[in-house]
Amino acid sequence: MATHDSDLSTGRAMSQSASTWLSLNRRHLPVETLVLALTLSLWVVMAFSTPNFLTANNIINILRQVSIDSIIAFGVLFPILIRGIDLSVGSVVALSGVVCATLLTMGMPIPIAIGLTLLLGIAIGSLNAFSVHRLGIPAFIITLAGLQAYRGGAFLVSGGTSVFGLPQELASFARAEWLGIPSLFWTMLVIGLILHFILSRTRTGRYMVAMGSNYESARRAGINIKRIVFFAYIISSVTACIAGILLMSRMSIGSPTAAVAYELNAIAAAVVGGASLFGGRGSVLGTFIGALLFATIANSANLLGIDSFWQMVATGVLIAVVVYVDNLHKRRQSGLK
Amino acid sequence: MHFAKHTLAIVAATTACSFTPAMAQDSTTIPVVIKATTASYWQAVFDGAQHAADKLGIQIEELGPANETQVAEQIGIMENLTSRTPPAIVLAPVSNDALAGPVESATAAGIPVIIIDSGVDTDQYASLIATDNFAAGQRAGHALATCMERTQGEAAGQVAYLRANPNGESLVSRDEGFLDAISQYPDIEVVDNRVANNDTAKAMNDTLDLLNRYPDLNGVFADNQLMGDGAGTAFAEQGVGDDVCLVAFDSSELEVDFLRQGVIDSLVVQDPYMMGYAGIWFAHAAQEGVALPRSVDTGVHVADTETVDQPEFSGLLDPDQRKLTPYLGTSADLQE
Repeated sequence: MATHDSDLSTGRAMSQSASTWLSLNRRHLPVETLVLALTLSLWVVMAFSTPNFLTANNIINILRQVSIDSIIAFGVLFPILIRGIDLSVGSVVALSGVVCATLLTMGMPIPIAIGLTLLLGIAIGSLNAFSVHRLGIPAFIITLAGLQAYRGGAFLVSGGTSVFGLPQELASFARAEWLGIPSLFWTMLVIGLILHFILSRTRTGRYMVAMGSNYESARRAGINIKRIVFFAYIISSVTACIAGILLMSRMSIGSPTAAVAYELNAIAAAVVGGASLFGGRGSVLGTFIGALLFATIANSANLLGIDSFWQMVATGVLIAVVVYVDNLHKRRQSGLK
Repeated sequence: MHFAKHTLAIVAATTACSFTPAMAQDSTTIPVVIKATTASYWQAVFDGAQHAADKLGIQIEELGPANETQVAEQIGIMENLTSRTPPAIVLAPVSNDALAGPVESATAAGIPVIIIDSGVDTDQYASLIATDNFAAGQRAGHALATCMERTQGEAAGQVAYLRANPNGESLVSRDEGFLDAISQYPDIEVVDNRVANNDTAKAMNDTLDLLNRYPDLNGVFADNQLMGDGAGTAFAEQGVGDDVCLVAFDSSELEVDFLRQGVIDSLVVQDPYMMGYAGIWFAHAAQEGVALPRSVDTGVHVADTETVDQPEFSGLLDPDQRKLTPYLGTSADLQE
């Protein structure tokens, strides 16, 4: 009993000192750093736990596994930044994979099939933005409707089964490595850098953050709200389409059952990476680190032979803890003001 | 090709699942409730059922959840059907225990229920038409051992298996049969298993991690079609050669392609077409008051890279090529 108590108080003291430390270093220690530290410590622990973790082959596996999830999460970050949400991305991933695969099996040249699929993404994003901005339908509802409808669309287009018979070039693309790094990861890197640039270096990016932080003052300041809303939802849908094409290329089939619940993984990655569901806060880098943490957990569970069910529990607990610690330190910070 | 035909079933499965689709229902429409509208295996069940219905001059209604993990959706479908009292129901239960109650309710309401593909924990049904999954799992285990013997001279080494869904009776029996067969080879060690939740992408990642964790792995068994798709893709992506054997269940186009390329070494193929076909005949007979056999085993066949293009397998590997006659004249040859 005594041991128990002292454990508790040590724990409390530790968490107190940790959060004091965090709040003192607020500027230098956003939640991204915390999650990065967590991910790195998991890597260190894994490196010592199993000889199979820190091998070139396994690192390449993790890079492949994290790429597609990250791209979806990058996209979802944009509606979240403007205090919206996009629950339809998982279904859009499946729909775009099936649509692109169907166009390809009809004999369409690869660039045209990909182009048309991306146009579909622009259309879906525009529809979401129109519904939110013009019709006043809450983002949660319209994208929840999309989650159902686009999944249904994927089944309809494919006739319920996987679309098979893609050109060999596509499968080769997903398997390719450039300078020892998987092509999927390079693709993710390029998309991530572009989105990071937009967010941190352009007026549109600053407006998004402003709009997410305080909608009213952003509107009064004369920000073109409509443009920002369309931009955010189109980014989200188009990146989901890119992810869908990449997933199709990796699995060499267009699968209507692909990416079930991926929207939740994407949102979790963004949130664990520092995004606030109340808008105005979040980063591409943080989102990547969040996705990397989840990919590392899944990979570690497999390498250590941890039960798949415990892996789900651990991921859930982690999301709760990270967001709690982040909130705690924000509250302390506002208390200090 | 399946487009219009499956539209209603798919829409029903993906939108709400719990409402009764507005279809023409008369006394000659028999609902066929399958496990997952999204796997080609189940499309073959529908194809067989449809052909039987054409012969009998009756209609079928194609129903089922989108994915086999959606237990509640299938229970909802059964509850709606029971209140509607069709002449009979053909059901492939996604869960042996969870569907026992709904099956009993339907039987109590006077609707004969023909169970196909997987067992259910009740005796209140008219007949069971299924693969003996334990025996089928054993065939998979022996096929894996045979492959290991061929590639490395002896049936010895490490194997792992991928599980689609630990909640389905057919899959659990299959895994047990696999383990039973493998236990007959003292030098083969089962080192791991992974549950991939019927998600092909997860099956692929899990396979990559298995190959990494066990550099000396000699064999992988994938216990259904989606697991086979994922494991095969992982093998292809890693360029895993002949030194690791892969045995999978069922026959998607991707799996058959992998079998031809030698990525998958053997496919254990069931006869879903026959389950659908016989299911409808039995349902029709049951509704006429015919006493039915308690259970019928539809059998399994093992196709490998050498035998994949034999004509006997064409109808089993690709239901579109299946002839209208349900019985294969060469079925004796197929028993190895």
